[in-house]
Amino acid sequence: MLESLKAATFEVLETMFFLFPENPEDNADLFHGSAVKAWVPVQGPKSFRIGLTVPLSLAREMAANFLGLEKDEVAPDNIDDVVKETANMVAGSFLWKEKAPEGFQLGPPEVLHLDLHGLNRQNNANAIVLVVDEAGLEVFLEKS
Amino acid sequence: MAYNVLIVDDSTTMRALVRKVLNIAGLELGECFEGANGQEALEILQHHWVDLILSDLHMPVMDGFALVENLRQNQMWQSIPVVLITTEGRQEVLAPFLQKGVQGYIRKPFRPEDIREKLQTILGEAWVPHARELEGSDF
Repeated sequence: MLESLKAATFEVLETMFFLFPENPEDNADLFHGSAVKAWVPVQGPKSFRIGLTVPLSLAREMAANFLGLEKDEVAPDNIDDVVKETANMVAGSFLWKEKAPEGFQLGPPEVLHLDLHGLNRQNNANAIVLVVDEAGLEVFLEKS
Repeated sequence: MAYNVLIVDDSTTMRALVRKVLNIAGLELGECFEGANGQEALEILQHHWVDLILSDLHMPVMDGFALVENLRQNQMWQSIPVVLITTEGRQEVLAPFLQKGVQGYIRKPFRPEDIREKLQTILGEAWVPHARELEGSDF
């Protein structure tokens, strides 16, 4: 399942954002400062959430690439919208790659702002950490 | 020929992106209308003629399926081509839309080429791309 999640993430980042993630050598310093977390609830035979946590700087770059704007032209609402849409696309692509039955349906995406400073990050067995332009990006799959 | 297009999506950012990609893909846009859901789309259609509808599937208030049902039951609107732009790629979910007469779908994530190819197929000989060539770096 994590392979499908990773493939879905690569597909979305490369196709829509022209960003090419890599596997980190060490993720200790990848997550700090302000971040945006967005997820999509998946309802069906099992309920879970698929989402991602992105440092604000990377989220801004994603929004700029997505909309063809300069980074300083990106409005805060654009950033939230783009990270939510990213979660939505990753979730849709994941269900497609997993050949999930029709009963699994995506809910509307949600977004939350976080300060990663001082947060005790735990290793999540159902998450993937990637590096994009020296920033960390976590994609997760968790029970809701 | 310039096409009047209606983009239906609850995300303002996605609507802006689709509009931009239509330009990059070479579609000569006339008027470009936007609705946040099926209900808003129907209200726009009460007052404006469009040549093509690009719609998301999952939206609040009125989703893509209800929009398509409304369009196909209305004599004025039943012949307007509808293309879904959706994260959904599962055939069993999309099949009912195709049975309702939706002309096709574009799965997100997509490239401008995907939109161009789909519109060329749907609009057929009427498709006349304008001078702007695909510029991947602008996407």
